[in-house]
Formats: sequence, C-alpha cells, structure tokens
Amino acid sequence: MKPRWRKVLHDLIDNIGRTLLVVFSIAVGVFSIGVIAGAYQIISNDMSVSYSANNPSNIEFRMTNFDENVLTSIHNQRGVKDAEGRRVFNMRVRVPGTEKWTTLDMVAFESFEKNAINLLTPIEGAVEPGKRQVLLEKGALDHLDVGVGGLLEFQLPDGSTKTMPVAGIVQDTAAGAADFLASPFGYITMDTLQYMGQPKLYNRVYITVADDGDDILHIREVGGVVKDKLEKSGNVILRTRFSLTHEHPLASTVNAILGILLALGILIVFLSSSLIANTLNALLNQHLRHIGVIKLVGGQRKQVFRMYITLIMAFGVIALAIAVPFGGIGAYALAEFIAVKLNFNLLGYRIVPMAFFVQIAVGLFVPLVAGLAPVINGSRITVLRALSGDLAEEKVQIKDGEKRLSWFDWMQVKVTHLLALRGIHIPRPFVISLRNTFRRKSRLMLTLFTLTMGGAIFISVFNVRVTLHDYINQIGKYFRADVTLDFDQPYRLREIENAVMSVDGVTHVEGWQFLSGELLDDHENVIENITLLSPPADSTLVQPILIEGRWMRPDDVRKMAVSEGLRKTYPGLKAGDYIKMRVDGRDEIWQVIGLFKFVDQEGLLGYTPFEYVSEMNNLANRSFSYRVVTESHERAYQDAKAEELDKYLRDKGFKVRVAQAGSASLDTAVESLDILVVFLLIMAILTAIVGSMGLAGTMGMNVLERTREIGITRAIGADDRARIRTVIAEGVVIGLISFALAIVLSVPFTYGLSYIVSSAVFQTPIAVVFTYLGYAIWLGLVLALSTVASILPARNAARLTIREVLAYE
Amino acid sequence: MKTRQTKRKSVADIHEMSTPDAMIDMHGVVKKFKNAAGEFTVLKGIDLTINRGEFVSIVGKSGSGKSTLLNMITGIDHPTEGRVVIGGTDIYTNVTESQRSKWRGRNLGIVFQFFQLLPMLTLLENVMLSMDYADMYDFDERPARAMEMLKLVGLEKFANKLPALVSTGQQQLAAIARALACDPPLLVADEPTGNLDTKSANTIIDLFENLARSGKTVLMVTHDPSLTSRTTRNIIIADGELINETIAKALPWLRHRHMMEFTKLAEEWVYEPKATIISRDEHVEYFFMIRKGEVEVVLQDRKQNETVISRLKPGEFFGDIELMRGGKSIANVRAAADAPVELLTIKREDFKRVMDQSPLTAEAVGKIVQQRLDEHRAADSRANRPFFSLFRRKQS
Amino acid sequence: MPASRLGQSKNNLQAGSPPLIELRNVVKVYSTAAGDFSALKGINMQIGAGEFVGIVGKSGAGKSTLLNMITGVDTLTSGEVIVRSNGSSVSVHKMSEDEIALWRGKTLGVVFQSFQLLPMLTLVENITLPMDLVGNFNPRQSRERALELLRLVEIEEHADKLPAFISGGQQQRVAIARALANDPPVLVADEPTGSLDSVTADHIFEVFEHLVTDQGKTIVMVTHDQSLMPRFSRAMRIVDGELDTAYEPEPQSSGRQMK
Repeated sequence: MKPRWRKVLHDLIDNIGRTLLVVFSIAVGVFSIGVIAGAYQIISNDMSVSYSANNPSNIEFRMTNFDENVLTSIHNQRGVKDAEGRRVFNMRVRVPGTEKWTTLDMVAFESFEKNAINLLTPIEGAVEPGKRQVLLEKGALDHLDVGVGGLLEFQLPDGSTKTMPVAGIVQDTAAGAADFLASPFGYITMDTLQYMGQPKLYNRVYITVADDGDDILHIREVGGVVKDKLEKSGNVILRTRFSLTHEHPLASTVNAILGILLALGILIVFLSSSLIANTLNALLNQHLRHIGVIKLVGGQRKQVFRMYITLIMAFGVIALAIAVPFGGIGAYALAEFIAVKLNFNLLGYRIVPMAFFVQIAVGLFVPLVAGLAPVINGSRITVLRALSGDLAEEKVQIKDGEKRLSWFDWMQVKVTHLLALRGIHIPRPFVISLRNTFRRKSRLMLTLFTLTMGGAIFISVFNVRVTLHDYINQIGKYFRADVTLDFDQPYRLREIENAVMSVDGVTHVEGWQFLSGELLDDHENVIENITLLSPPADSTLVQPILIEGRWMRPDDVRKMAVSEGLRKTYPGLKAGDYIKMRVDGRDEIWQVIGLFKFVDQEGLLGYTPFEYVSEMNNLANRSFSYRVVTESHERAYQDAKAEELDKYLRDKGFKVRVAQAGSASLDTAVESLDILVVFLLIMAILTAIVGSMGLAGTMGMNVLERTREIGITRAIGADDRARIRTVIAEGVVIGLISFALAIVLSVPFTYGLSYIVSSAVFQTPIAVVFTYLGYAIWLGLVLALSTVASILPARNAARLTIREVLAYE
Repeated sequence: MKTRQTKRKSVADIHEMSTPDAMIDMHGVVKKFKNAAGEFTVLKGIDLTINRGEFVSIVGKSGSGKSTLLNMITGIDHPTEGRVVIGGTDIYTNVTESQRSKWRGRNLGIVFQFFQLLPMLTLLENVMLSMDYADMYDFDERPARAMEMLKLVGLEKFANKLPALVSTGQQQLAAIARALACDPPLLVADEPTGNLDTKSANTIIDLFENLARSGKTVLMVTHDPSLTSRTTRNIIIADGELINETIAKALPWLRHRHMMEFTKLAEEWVYEPKATIISRDEHVEYFFMIRKGEVEVVLQDRKQNETVISRLKPGEFFGDIELMRGGKSIANVRAAADAPVELLTIKREDFKRVMDQSPLTAEAVGKIVQQRLDEHRAADSRANRPFFSLFRRKQS
Repeated sequence: MPASRLGQSKNNLQAGSPPLIELRNVVKVYSTAAGDFSALKGINMQIGAGEFVGIVGKSGAGKSTLLNMITGVDTLTSGEVIVRSNGSSVSVHKMSEDEIALWRGKTLGVVFQSFQLLPMLTLVENITLPMDLVGNFNPRQSRERALELLRLVEIEEHADKLPAFISGGQQQRVAIARALANDPPVLVADEPTGSLDSVTADHIFEVFEHLVTDQGKTIVMVTHDQSLMPRFSRAMRIVDGELDTAYEPEPQSSGRQMK
C-alpha cells in the first residue's frame, strides 16, 4: 500500500474513539432515515396489497333486515360485480367462569366457502364454523383469553346464555379497517343465528363494483343506483360506506404519521451532519501538522484533499455497514408494529431498494458535505502555518493601528468588569468556563443547533402528547357520562331513574336518544351519514366547544348543532343554514343552529334535543339509552358501577344490552394516540442522543485543544476537582443555553407538530396545550447529559500531567 | 612540609547537606524516561541545595535536562529516584499530582518563557485565578490584592485588558504578578526573558533582583550570559548532571562536555591556613581552581624576603602556565592566613587532553597567560627572571 | 578540525558558474499586533553547489524566516529567490503553492529541529511518502531506495518500526533520510541538532558532513550553536534581519592548539 493510503488507514484505526464518534454520528442518521424510509415503503405497499388481497367491498350498506331475494336483486344490478349479505349484531360474551363481559360484533355468513368479499384469512383451527360454533377474529383474543376448542358464553338479549366452542381463529383485514376503535369480531354461519336468538335475515350488504374499484366516483355512482333501487323496493338503508379496493381506509392517516416520522428522520440526518462537521473539523485541526509535513515533502493540495476525502468516505462506508442492516431490521420492525396495530399483513421481510439507496446516499453524501469545508480548509493550509503550530484564532484585530478585540470578547470582558464594579465577582475558574464556551463559535453553534433541536423536539413531543390528551378530554365533554346503559327495549324515564338512583354512588341519570340521518345533496343523493345524539337540551353531560351559533334548546324542532367537520361536506356552512337530510326514510329540511368542534372520525356528529326526538320516535318519556353520573369519575369506579348497575337492573328484570364505563372508548382512543406519541418520543430521544453526542464530542475536542490552558492552571495550583469543575461548568453552560433556545424553539415546533398530527388523526387542527413536564424533563436531561458528556473529557483533562501538556508547545 | 589534606568526594556535591536555610534540597534525583526505544536517563543523580534569598540561574543546552530539572523542583514531573524537599516539604513522597498542584499554587510562583497567561481572562483575572485555585485570601480581598500585584509590576493601567492587547513584555510582567499573587517563598522562571526585547528583559531581571533581596528565592533558567552575570549563583547542567560551579566559573569557555569531564575528574583538596600548596621549583602536576578561601602567590628574593605578589580568589585558577608550557613553578603558592582553602585539582594529563580538544578555551587561557605575563613584567620591576609563571585573571 | 576540505565550493563560485541558490534583495515584513515588523531587510546571498553553509543568529534574528524563503514555505514581501537545479532555474516565489510543493519535493530536503515524522507510519513509509507524493519512483523502487537511505544514515535495522519506538537522534536520522528521498540536490536544516544531547548532536552533524563530502549535496543549516561554526564551509551571521557582512567565523584551527 502506498504510504499516503497507509496514513489514511491509520487515521481510521489508530484513534478508535474518534472514529467511533464519527461513524456513530453518521450511522444514527443513516439508521433513522433507513428505518423510516423502509417502513414507509413497506407499509404503503403492503398495507394496500394486504388489504386488497382480501377483496374488500367497495360499498357497504347497513340496512334493516332483508332476505336472499333482495340480495339477488342487488347482485343483478348493473355495475355490481359481487354482493354478499351478512348479519351483524352485538353480543356480550365471556369465557365461562370469568366475570368480564366483552362486546363482540357477531357476523353471520351464508356460506364461508362462497365468501368472496372481505375475505377472512384463516390463522388457526377450522376455516369454517360448524353449526353452533364460532370463529374469532384474532383481535378478539386481546379481550378474551380463549383458544381454539375453548368455550365461550354468549349472553342473549333476554339475559339467558348460550355456549359455543371456538372453532378457529381468523383475520379480517377489511371489516373494521377504517376504525381504530371497532369492537372485536366473531363469525358464525346463518344456521347459528336462531340459536343466538336472531332472525335468519341479513342486515348488511357488501358490494364490489365490476369496473374500477379504485374510482370513487364510479363506486358512488353504482352505490347510488343500487340504493335507489333498494329504497324503491321498501328497504331502509341506515348507513352507507364507500371504499377503494386498493386503499386501506386508514392509509392516509398512517402516511401522515409516517410523514412526520420521515421529517424527524431527515432532521436527525441534519443534526448528525452538524455533529460530523464538528468532529471532522477537529480532526483536521489535529492533523494540520501532518498536512504540513505532507506538503513539505512534496504533497500537493489535491493529494491532501483526496486523502482526507477518502478518510471521510471510509467513515461513511463503515457507518453504512453498521446502519444499513440495522436500518432494514428496524424498518421491518416498525412496519410490523403498525401492521399489527392496524390488522394487516406484511409480505415478509425484505430489503427495500429505495430505502437502501437513500441510506447509501445519506451515508456517503452527508459526511462528504459536512466534511467538505474542513477538508478544503485543511488542504489549503500553508506549510508555515501548519508547522509553526500558530493555529490559535487571532483574537485581536488591528484597526487604524490599534489593537481591537472582537465585539463579542469585548462585551464579555466589559460585562464582567461592570459586574465587578458593582461588587459582583464571578469566581475566575467559572469565568474561564463561561468564556471558553464562546471560544470556538462555529463549533458552539453546531453543538447548540443539535442540542437545541433535540431539546425542542423532545419538549414539543410532550406538548403534543398533552395536546392530544387534552383534545380527547375535550371530546369527552360530549360524552361525560360515567356509565352508559343501553337496553334492548325502551323503558320509561321515571322507571329507570328510580331503579338506577337507588344504586349507591349514582348521582344523576338521564335518557338519550339517537337519530341516524343521511345528508342529501340537491338531487337527493346521499352524501354523508350523520349521527344525531339527543340528550335533554339542558343536559350537563355535554359541554360543547361552540365555534359558531348557539347550543340546542328544548323547543328546537328539526334544528341541530353539528360538528365543524360538516364544513367539509358543506363548505362555508354557517349557523342558521338549512340542510336537507333523510331521517328514517323521510326527506326533511333541518336548520343548523350552531357548529362545535369535534373529532371527525367516522361520520359526523350532531346534537338535537331529546325533547323533539323522543316525540318524533314516538318514545316520549321513554328511551333505549341512558347516561348515568356517579360520585367518582375514576375509570375503575365507573367499571365497578357499570357492572353493579348491569347486575342490579338485570335482577330487576330490565333487558340490559350493554352497561359500560363512560370513558371506555375514550381510553381506547388515548391508547392508540399514545402509540403515536411513543413513536414521536423515540424520534425525540434519537435527536436528543445525537445532540448529546454532539455535546460530548465538542467537550472532548475542546479539552483536547485546551491542553495548554489545563497545563497552565495546573501549574498555578488547580487541583483535579477544580479542573473537572471548569470543564463540567462549560458543558452545563452549553446545556443551559441550548435549553433556553429550546424553550423558544419548542413553541413553533409544538404548533407545527400538533398541526400535522391532529390533521392526520383528527382531520382538524386542534388547540395546542403546553405542559411544564417536557420542559422539566428536558432540563433535567440536558443537565444530566451535559454533565455526563463533560465528565469523560474532564477526567481526561485532569489526568493529563503538566509535562505532557507542556510537551504540546 | 606540605599538609595536604585530601577530601575525596563527589565534587558535584558542592554544598553541604540540608541546612535550615535551604529552600530547595535535592538528593540523588534521577529521572528516566522510558519509551519503546529504551530508557533514557535525563537526570543522572542530581544533588542540589539552594538557600533562601538566593538568585540562581540555571544554564544548559537544550537536551541537557534543565527543563526536567526545573520540572522536578516545580513538581510538574516526578523523579524516578531521589528526594526533592522544597521549603521543608518532601513534595513527592505520598503526594498525588492533584495535591501537588494545590501545594504549588500556594508555595511556588512559576513564570514561563511564553508567559502562559490564560487568553480569555484579563490581566487582573489572571492574577486572581491563582488565588482562586490556591484558595488564598478571602474571596472579596482577591481583587484588591491582585491590583496590588499589578501595581508592583507597573501594570495597574492594563488590569482589565486581555493579554492579547498588551505587549509581550507586559504579558510577562503580568505573569510575574500572577506568580507572586499567593506570596510564595520561591519563584521559578523558565527563560523568562527569552521572548522579550532587552529593555523588557532588564525590567524583569531588576524585579527578580528586588524580590531576591526581599527574601524570596528566585530560580531562573536562561541561556543569556548577560543575565547569568546578574544572579548570585549560576548552575550549569549538561547531559543530566550538574557541572561543578567552581569549574564553570574558572573556565567559562569550556564546552559543557568538557566541564563535565573536569567535574568528574576533579579532586578536592583542603589546605589549612598558611599551608604551602606549590613550592618553588617544584614540578607542577595539577591545574588548580579555588573553590573557597584565597591563596597567596609569594615570591622570595635572595634574602628570603617574601613578597605577596597576588591574592587569588574563589573562581580563579593557577598552575596553568606550567602545565601548558611545561616547567617548574617559580613561586610559592600558599593558603591565605585567614581561612582554610578548598581547591579543585585536575591532573596534568587530563588538563592537557581537554585543552587540546577545546581550542577556544586553550586560546582563552593562552590569552590570559599572555596578559598576566605582560602585567607582571610591568608591575614587578624587581623580577629577575624574564618569565613570571603565576597568573591571575580578573573575575568576569 | 579538518574543514578546509569543503573549500572547493567557494572556488566554484569564484570560477563563475551560476550559484545554486540565489537570494536577491529578499524582504519579509510581518504585520503583527504591534505593527509591521521587518524580519528580513533585503538579503542578498549566493550559495554554490557543494557548499555547507551555516547561518547563525539569535532567536528572532530572522534565520528561520530566511530558510523559509529558500524552501518557499513562507511568502516574501519583495525580492527574489532563485534556485538552479537539474539544469533548470526556478524563481521560487513565482510558483503557485502546489507547484512549490512539488518542486520542493524534488529539489529540497528539509530537516527540522523537531523531526516532524508522521507518527502512524513506519520509518520506511515515512521515507517512501515523499516519493509517493512526487511520483518519481514506483512502489518497489521506493522501498528499496528508502532502505538504502536508511542504511546511509545507519538505521536500517529499525526500518519497520514506528517513530515513537526509536530515540530522538534516530528519528533525526530518519528525517534526514526522508529529506533525501527524492534525491534533491539541496538540503535545508533548521536547528537539526537543537533538541539532541551533545553526543547525538555530534553524530547527526557528522551525517550532514558526509552528505556534503560523499554525496555532493549542498546544505544550508541554521543553528545557534557557535561551536559548530568552524565545521561549515561557509558561515554567515544574520542580525536583525540583515546579513552581518563583517562577520568572520573564528578561525577553525585556533592558533594555539597544543600538542
């Protein structure tokens, strides 16, 4: 090997610590970008493949009961490729011998063999349930501790129970795909319906279109035609849903989240590149003498340049060798995690070429860019400067024949002097720390940049988390009941009130009603489904965040307050506008009295007073559904009361369908949001790691370059503790500056991140909330990090003997 | 009868063992550096005592071990063997480097060739810093004390300037102020004027002289001969050993290598007062240098009347002409009456060999010989011989 | 001390052949915080092939600056430095930095007080490095030549050791061998014995003497060791940036040498 390449090789392997620092800083960036790019690619591909593989329906109608003939007529419609009828109903189920009831969405098939739409993927046991057997969707296993062959106890509406064995486990990637919060599914044949006390009739139809399943207009058109036909023949369609064949209903949400992660990944690359720039700068500084010698003995600038560029490339290659495999594994792990959460399947582990190339580009290009300036400067240095060791930055400028300090140095001295005049003396060792901090300004900038970014993201993630939770709580204001009671038949308000109030801890109960509406356009085509909730107009269980208009009153007739999301359907919708809506098959005109802020998830939400709806439904003073308020609003208390009420009311002969804690569904929502937050936090921690690595590297380089100062202070009496204190103080000063900057920067970051996340998850921007928690944790963390990052260099500094230090002269 | 009393001991060991007055006391200090190429002995057993109030210069070429010697005294490095006692403290036995730093801060002021002020601190802060580290004086007293030190070196006007803004001479003065901040009894300076113009250098040496006069011990490494002349004592180190100070004084033109040779060869002889050292007509077999006491050169006329034609003082030599030109002594040389004389003697053949190798010295000695001859021819009209064989030279 | 053997170079000059190195009114002014400072105040100097020139002076007198002018390591303020070798004549300061580097690699070997070997390369590699950079020899030739040079400075048994594993004197020998790598006609040495003990310094000086007598090299050496003066073929003193024209080194064989 030529001696110059030998030198490069030795530069690479002789200082393992430095090489690791550079390699690791590159690798962090490559890894995170690899994970995210890979996961992004895998998910966006596999999500759609896995979803479409099971032939998802394009049109779903929830209808009143219908029979085989209706299904056949749908099948025969033009544009319909296939149609499949099912019966879907709620049922409480538990493993015999346990207490906990779980609500399952039971799905009855005509024939599992002929199943062609929303295919089930067998996982374990039978592919098809026999009579009085049930298949479970694998998601149900999270709630029910049962295996194939195990028994389940089903509770019928009349309170009696039936037992069925679990014949197999299946996966249903289509049903519930659109809903994070859907109930788990169980599958039976139509033959079993009778056993379950259900009529042998369908109430849902799943349709695939003949032509383009990815053309939403075409799907809507076919859907419209079928619906018209059905309604003309007297069927009532309660709810309509259109979806594309190749697009997972949550794809856009997932993509948005991955997009955020991708942005953070790019940021990490950015941060790591500033770390690389710092380290390479220091490396070149340390190598100036070598460069001087090389040039002295005949080396030209381009030869020096090539040597160091090769060194940098070698750092990049090593980093790639580490980061690419881990990045690939990480990408798949992340994809897998999301896939499990969203119930779709990955096509198997693989290397994503796009991610692979992106990683290689990042791994080689970023260090090249970061190292270019130091290498160019280094290769330009003159032999004289390199060998004279006269490399300290000139602090003094000569202007008009006078020596001048840079304004920054002047200011530092001036401030200390002014303080001293007022009798405030800063101990000199600390003055050293302070002024050292600003010695290498460009290095300080890069360090502060990485650390501040890490901190700002870290803090923002906490703020976003609180923001999301706060929003969920805000949503909770629309459903503040502690226990929700649903009955299979309406009961008189007074009757339920008497019964429920006699249970300990219950403070209030009120009846609610519901109304399903279909929003119509000018041509009576259904545009959207809307659910109208009807609590008493003066209910305290709804605390709406009104953005316009007013809340409902008891005397409101065909007036409703609607969620802001309706503006998507009706751009420019204002309070006082009229809307055409089909209710129970009747086309009516409703007035919008107010708009409130709400999550736009499945369908839309509106409120109209109980007073009107109960009359309209012919259920005056009666209701199927009740909301109970208890003394305590703790989840555990709610659960206990729900169970107690359930038992109490059943014992009294009420036909309770569901009694559950009011915050149950909110908790589930919070859980799934927390998963998102965890991802964000991982990214924040990665940036924090990059930041603290930057700090550690900077402190190490600072100490290396300050051996002279260390020698002097030792010579004039500084002991180890004093030395270590000075170095740590410098690290902490940097940490604190970055903290101060991070506080400022976290504000726009929080807003930005909240906006992106809430737009992705809730399709609406939400009010940002700040929490001291992120600031406090980051303050603690940054102090700990800067101390730790300084300890090693400080210890090394203390270990240097003066003789060694003076030998640097 | 000659009452020559030979005291054979290592002549490098020039001073008595530790006295209560000793500021620095080094015993058998050896320093070896190890590297993969082998072991290098940089200091080969140094014994040195320096008393309080002395102003000592240390001279040596680069590579001679003078920086290492200094590092042994300042506690910056540690010896492989031997003991170093500074102001009564054994600074290497059971002392960590960190503790030594603290000790140094309180007991030792160090001045470097390149000033070594911390560039980010003003002159005042630099001076205060050493008090901060040594934890000397109350925190609130330190600014006033530092200002006082700067006044002492005449820098009070520049107290709040950064080192880069003042001249190098001023930087060195500030460094001295810093070294004095904790009022240490010992000041060690490594080529303090090496980077300064003559005027600044003079200011600094004046300052050192004053400090020594006021009772501080000042130790200064230098290679500027104009500075060594102003110190009260000059120590030469060559290849890791100290050169006998008498030899260095008597034969300053010798290369250090040869001085070292003499240091090793020299024997120390002690004569009682009035004892004869060389008798007339005796063959002279030695070259003599006076370490302590004085000798008289006595000429006897035919009537046996004695004339003391010269009195030689410490640092002067005799016996050179005989050795260089051959022949017998033509006068009596005896110890002065007031005190015993300590002499260093070198054998004739050793002396000649070295003179042959050192033409510069031979020439200088030759010039002195000529000068003495001329002087005495003129001064002593009674001389009945054309050559007068004993010579003196003026001390430099 | 036999030193007159080097006298013939002076004769060369007198015979009228153009000098190998020629400095014409070289001025170097540094701008410092204290104002402009003239390190060299118009130096005129001619050095003939085969001379062994010693330049003495106090520190700060400008002797290192003078050397830097010859090697092209530092820029000059005015004047000209001409080096004639291999039949070509080069005005050093009219070249670009890269050209100087390449030219220096071929024409000048430089030896410093502090050796300046690259610590991560073995001795052989330190010597092959200039050959690699200049490209005069192929790798195999390089190694053989390097070994030969190490033999010349009597250190070939350590060829594959790292610099840290040999003594200072040995490192300086390697530095000399490196300076000879591309077989330059001129060697420039800045206090090459400055950090060596007296015996080692003597050995190193002898190596230089041999290079002049046996290899016909031209050597320019800066030193402050007065005792070396007699051993140069020509000695110059520089005082405050000017050549001390009155300077005559002490005659090398002192008048009263005794037997």
